[in-house]
Amino acid sequence: MPLAIRTERLTKIYASRLVAVNDLSLEVPQGAIFGLLGPNGAGKTTTVRLLLGLHRPSAGYAEVMGRRCGVNRVSVRKLIGYLPTNPKLPGHLRPIEYLDLLGQLYGLPKHVRKPRLASLLRAVGLLGATNQPIHTFSTGMNTRLGIAASLIGDPPILIWDEPTAGLDPAARRFTLDLIRELGRTRTIVVATHILSDIDQVCSHVGVMHEGRMIFSGSMRDMQQRLKRNVFRLDLVGSGEDLERLAEQVNAMAGIEATVGTGDTLSLQLADRVNRANALSEVLMLVATSNLTLQNVHSGRNETEDVYLQLLQEDEAHGFQRFTFETDSRDDAVHGDSLA
Amino acid sequence: MMPFTAILWHDLRMLWSSWLVRLWLIATALLAMIQIMSNWERFQTAPLIAVLLLPYIVFPWSLVVMMLSVNPLSGSRSGVAADGILSRPVTRYAYLLAAWTARVTLVLSVFLVVTVPTIAIVALAERPAPADEVTFYGVAASLAVVGLVLTFLVSVGFLLGTLFRNTLLAIVVLVFLWFPVNLVLNVFSLEEFSPISLTQALPTLLRQPWDETEVAEPEPDVDAAFRDALSFFSSLGGNSNPEPKPEERSFFERGDYEDFSLRRVLLGYGIPTIVSVALATLCFCLRDV
Repeated sequence: MPLAIRTERLTKIYASRLVAVNDLSLEVPQGAIFGLLGPNGAGKTTTVRLLLGLHRPSAGYAEVMGRRCGVNRVSVRKLIGYLPTNPKLPGHLRPIEYLDLLGQLYGLPKHVRKPRLASLLRAVGLLGATNQPIHTFSTGMNTRLGIAASLIGDPPILIWDEPTAGLDPAARRFTLDLIRELGRTRTIVVATHILSDIDQVCSHVGVMHEGRMIFSGSMRDMQQRLKRNVFRLDLVGSGEDLERLAEQVNAMAGIEATVGTGDTLSLQLADRVNRANALSEVLMLVATSNLTLQNVHSGRNETEDVYLQLLQEDEAHGFQRFTFETDSRDDAVHGDSLA
Repeated sequence: MMPFTAILWHDLRMLWSSWLVRLWLIATALLAMIQIMSNWERFQTAPLIAVLLLPYIVFPWSLVVMMLSVNPLSGSRSGVAADGILSRPVTRYAYLLAAWTARVTLVLSVFLVVTVPTIAIVALAERPAPADEVTFYGVAASLAVVGLVLTFLVSVGFLLGTLFRNTLLAIVVLVFLWFPVNLVLNVFSLEEFSPISLTQALPTLLRQPWDETEVAEPEPDVDAAFRDALSFFSSLGGNSNPEPKPEERSFFERGDYEDFSLRRVLLGYGIPTIVSVALATLCFCLRDV
């Protein structure tokens, strides 16, 4: 699959004091909705700013559609529609003036620019606010204007940094639906630490930790990494019956049961245990008890579990994470290797 | 070219709509009126025009120019520039040159909008003051010199705004560079380039006719420069100046600048202006935004 974005051993060290991006090798296929996931300070925003040429790399390089990124690479920035986190936009301008300015930066002639900015303002629901200066906008309105700004040049790649940060549920739903819609025709990179956003819209995911890419692959590949040995049963019945059931389950080999809050029973299966057999035996016990089964869960949140598992594994590797002159992609877990 | 003109117009609109510029324009007009009215009968035309031009290159308007020149690349404006403009298809050269051009245009516009009508009034009106022989060429050359100094100030402000991300720090450094510059230039016998000396030379320039502009430049006096340097360092060491105190003369009529060379001033301010813009561009392209 052709690549929309590629970085090779990309490194950013600020003022010889802070390692923000650490030997990062990243590949984003064309047409993917790529979730760049990581905790705060993982280096997501720095990576994005390196791609845009707002920051200069300390080592390595980045390419967008095969073109090298750099400070004065206008041809690269023409391919990217960027939405920053809580965008700082020129507050004295009104939305039409700002979008018109950006249209001119993209070199769009007036007969293309004006109808496009009008339809974008309508699409993001800001037609009623065109007379207001941007500094009077709420966080949600600012983000929506930032979205329109990222689309004014009709670029094939969108890079949105924390697009749902600070949004109310309705605005968040709107943004996620828009990502899904735009993802049909464009490559989209969504940098976020909100796992549910990734879960809902992304086809591919890259997990960053301390400036490094510790996983890169499809969402399915990521979820397959989850050790599915934890189950939770939602039951209705008396507390005594629940305790009795837990004792019966604990008597079985390779299963550890604990009563949780809100009439739930958590089951931890040993690796050697056949999960189907073990679950069927437990469910038989439930059927013979006075309890009513409402739900069976295979985990709280699959993506969250994998994500936390990846971070824990990376921490546990300790000094093994250090490499001499090797391709840093060797260190990252790849979804392809799991297939 | 479209990104350059777009940013230029955007910056010009932003500057014209700022309270600092509006207040500055009103204040310059008021001060010019006060200066004309209070000196209407006292001064000849050339010194009166020099009085009108003095605030731009000495104080207080030079301070306003400094404040306007450092902000596009420092402080909160830097974040807005990065998110709003520099992440779009525009080179940093285009952004910087457009922002610089906008500030130079604005500063020169405010300067000319106020000074040209006031100079016209002073030069053409019949006043009770003694007659003076101010020439059209002299007025144009004086306006060009002050305009060049203002352009130089904007350019140095740009450079400092790029070097120091903190707006206040950049202004403080610029103030400490600009106001004591007389002393430093005096040491190297380049006093004619200092803001105060330029102002004192303006009456001479204002009276200069077109055909006498090519004044032969004096040979550089190395011994005098050496003596001046010695004098400066001895004054730093606490020794008193042994030379006799010159006779007290009017600020604008010292007569020291009969050999005033427009070409030297153009080069003396023009070259540092170009160097400042080039260095600001280089620094801006090398730094993260």
